[in-house]
Amino acid sequence: MLQCDFIFRLKGILEFACQLDNPNGVQSQSTISKSFQDLRSKVTSKNIVFTVCNSPVLIWPNTGFQSSVESLTEASACGDILQWIESDDGGSKKSSKKKDKKKSGPTVVNMKLLFEVTEPAGNTAPSLIRVSTQQHCVKMPLPLDCALSVTTDERLETVCTGLVEALNKQLADMEEVVLQYRKGSSFLVPQPFHFQLPEPAGLITVVYPAGVPDSQLQAVREDLHRKFELPCDRPYLRRANAFHFPDAAYKDGYLRNPHIHLNPPNIEDAKLYLVQGVYSYHHYMQDHVDDNGWGCAYRSLQTICSWFQQQGYVETAVPTHTQIQQALVDVGDKEPRFVGSRQWIGSIEVQAVLNQLLGVTSKIMFVSQGSELATKGRELANHFQTEGTPVMIGGGVLAHTILGVVWSENTGQIRFLILDPHYTGGEDLQTITDKGWCGWKGPEFWDQNAYYNLCLPQRPKTI
Amino acid sequence: MGRSYFVDEAVGEYLSGLQAAPGSCVTGLLAGQSSPQRDFVVLAVQTPHRESEGQLKAPKGVSPLDDIDVEWVTEHAKQVSRMLPGGLCVLGLFLVTPPELSKDAQNGLKRLIFAVEKYIIKGRLWELSEEDVTDRVTLHICSKTKKLLCKTFDVKDPKSSAKPADWKYQTGISSSWPMLTCSVEVDLQIPVTGSSSDNTDKCMKDGLRRWAKQIEAAYCLINGRQALDDSELISGQKKNPKTTNRQTLPARIFVSDEQSELGERSSALVQVCSGSMRVRGVVHCRAYIHNNKPKARHAAQAIKRDIINTVCSRVEMFLEDLCINEGSQKGLCSGQQALPRRVFAPMPISGLSVCDYMFPDESTADVAERLKEMLDCETPEEDIDTSLENNQLFSIISGFEITDSQDDDSSKHVSEIQAENHKIQKPPKYYAGVALAAAIALLATATSLLYFS
Repeated sequence: MLQCDFIFRLKGILEFACQLDNPNGVQSQSTISKSFQDLRSKVTSKNIVFTVCNSPVLIWPNTGFQSSVESLTEASACGDILQWIESDDGGSKKSSKKKDKKKSGPTVVNMKLLFEVTEPAGNTAPSLIRVSTQQHCVKMPLPLDCALSVTTDERLETVCTGLVEALNKQLADMEEVVLQYRKGSSFLVPQPFHFQLPEPAGLITVVYPAGVPDSQLQAVREDLHRKFELPCDRPYLRRANAFHFPDAAYKDGYLRNPHIHLNPPNIEDAKLYLVQGVYSYHHYMQDHVDDNGWGCAYRSLQTICSWFQQQGYVETAVPTHTQIQQALVDVGDKEPRFVGSRQWIGSIEVQAVLNQLLGVTSKIMFVSQGSELATKGRELANHFQTEGTPVMIGGGVLAHTILGVVWSENTGQIRFLILDPHYTGGEDLQTITDKGWCGWKGPEFWDQNAYYNLCLPQRPKTI
Repeated sequence: MGRSYFVDEAVGEYLSGLQAAPGSCVTGLLAGQSSPQRDFVVLAVQTPHRESEGQLKAPKGVSPLDDIDVEWVTEHAKQVSRMLPGGLCVLGLFLVTPPELSKDAQNGLKRLIFAVEKYIIKGRLWELSEEDVTDRVTLHICSKTKKLLCKTFDVKDPKSSAKPADWKYQTGISSSWPMLTCSVEVDLQIPVTGSSSDNTDKCMKDGLRRWAKQIEAAYCLINGRQALDDSELISGQKKNPKTTNRQTLPARIFVSDEQSELGERSSALVQVCSGSMRVRGVVHCRAYIHNNKPKARHAAQAIKRDIINTVCSRVEMFLEDLCINEGSQKGLCSGQQALPRRVFAPMPISGLSVCDYMFPDESTADVAERLKEMLDCETPEEDIDTSLENNQLFSIISGFEITDSQDDDSSKHVSEIQAENHKIQKPPKYYAGVALAAAIALLATATSLLYFS
């Protein structure tokens, strides 16, 4: 997907400050703009310095490219910077089973924005300037965050110039957002979000006002969808859709998309149809809930809910077992004593909960015999192509999640990518992929005689 | 095992040359640098005589030790601290007593050392870190036998008892100490809420404290190399203590606006202010670091503390004077005024430099006088280097509002204060527009004539 080798990410805080005589007066807008203009000058001045995190490298981008390390010059390729960076885990890229694992994406180089206060232009000793008019003093930290995707052979100097331009543009965007959402002396902090859009747009940054929920920013997104020619029926620019940098850990501790570390089976003439976007792997024993033996469908449901949350369709957290049970009581599907019990649920209940808690509708597919699943290639392929949501399948005494299929229209050969909620261990990617807790299975995986119900969640048509 | 103090020979000469009137005591300061392994003393200065107005204080009659003017000693210590560049500080005190008082001297010294430490750190904008040495040395000298008794107290612990320490003389202790230098651009906007002078002081303090935290957290390059870790400041060089050339190491400081208190805000911080203050200009900073395998980050800490101290000191001095000259009308005035600028002079003995602050209407003669009084040394005026910080342009106090009703009070107030002024520095006269100054003087004279006639 991403053709670049590197993402250079520059972060820093710049304090915005201004004094307003009358926050509601006509003058205040130009005072605010003047302060932003000063910040833009600051960023193009000789005093700004980029420091590369975890390295001794300092770069002065606005003095014809100077760096603190002799071997890095204007002509250096940006990949040269890697040798100076100390990685946290000793830089080990070895893994035991290399053949089934894929490359994990572009390398992120983190940089920080600093300002030099030494080497001043003049040396006039300090004065104290006192002003005694009544004013509103406004102070706000602007969380600057710029990212550039580049290839290895791109020159370091070009990257730095690009980052300075990005800073300038981001300040201009921030000014627009601040002015638009300002009410008198109440200012909202402008926050940048990065989004990975389909080519040719690539990695873009959008500034949203803090505290204004996604639901109120619909018009902004519509404009951007038009500008970048994005489809109008699925979210790309909600805050939850923000690009997840490869080097950042997920704070909640759940694994994301373990399936990307697997190579799909090589079937002649077959095509790959996979879940789109990001989901979290939910399974037995997580969250201190001992649901070993009865909670598999609940876990599959949680995986599906995590998908809707991370694609930006809902802001609600992934429901607990209790919340799932309560939802079923609320819709009248179960008696109140169901809550707190260890009773199994099936596809119909999953459908009901998705509707009740997330407002998501689902299609149910019934298969009278496990052996028939092998014939459902077309339906599943279509589902992953159009909806791209994880599928919950229940039957026999087990529930699983289907994340994709490899299917040949001609030969009918099929393999299923299964995420198994029956895993009771820790969030160890190695074990999960090695032991097939997330893995490709053939049609013999299903109980050939049992009947199965599949719940296929449908994406709401919204941005 | 107590601490070891390595003391310059010349300090020893100074101490033996001290004259105490028979039966009385002499107090004084010891200054230098502490490091985790050992301490270095490069300066000793006796407490200057206090000019007391009015009647002499009658001796309390019990012991000359009780007559020691603790307040004066601490004030002297504070003034001397302001004159020391980064890396150097007041390390302790000495006390010369006649033999019969030697027994009680320890208590006297303990009282003094804690009082001095407490007074010096008041108003300081940085905190001591875990690694800073908190032992201070007390040196007792018997005026008859010239015997030295050296002990230390841990000033972090009011209950600490005296620990023995070594006092060793050496020549040229600091002759090859590297000197770190930099010039720092300062531009601080400080909002002022409320209108009383206490408010102004507090706002200034808060604003400076925030800036000081930025400097403390700043990235530092010394002589082109990162100064973060435990690496040695000067590596790969044969350190020959006999070489007399002193290395000058330029420091570069890089700040970010990151403030933890502003943190994860979703809206701006808005304050209604009655005005604002701005400190703007360039300060020249210096720090020395011992050459016994110094670590890069200690050197960085020394220069950063000097940066913070120099801005803080001059603002403090300015505001102290303002208080005397303008009384409680601080909140009403606006305009641009020059803060005292920093000048450097060679230190007695060690070849290091000391600094002082010159108000716009002062000259090197005033500086020389202060150096004589505070550091007990003669400095030729031509040795005082005033070139490192440039004079501010002539500035005018504009919109100087004095309400009519307070006119007489303020001028009377000022003249009273001048009479009682115990301060070591001469009260500086402010530059005002000539016409304005003349007008005020005329008014004051006329009013006081009226008042007193």
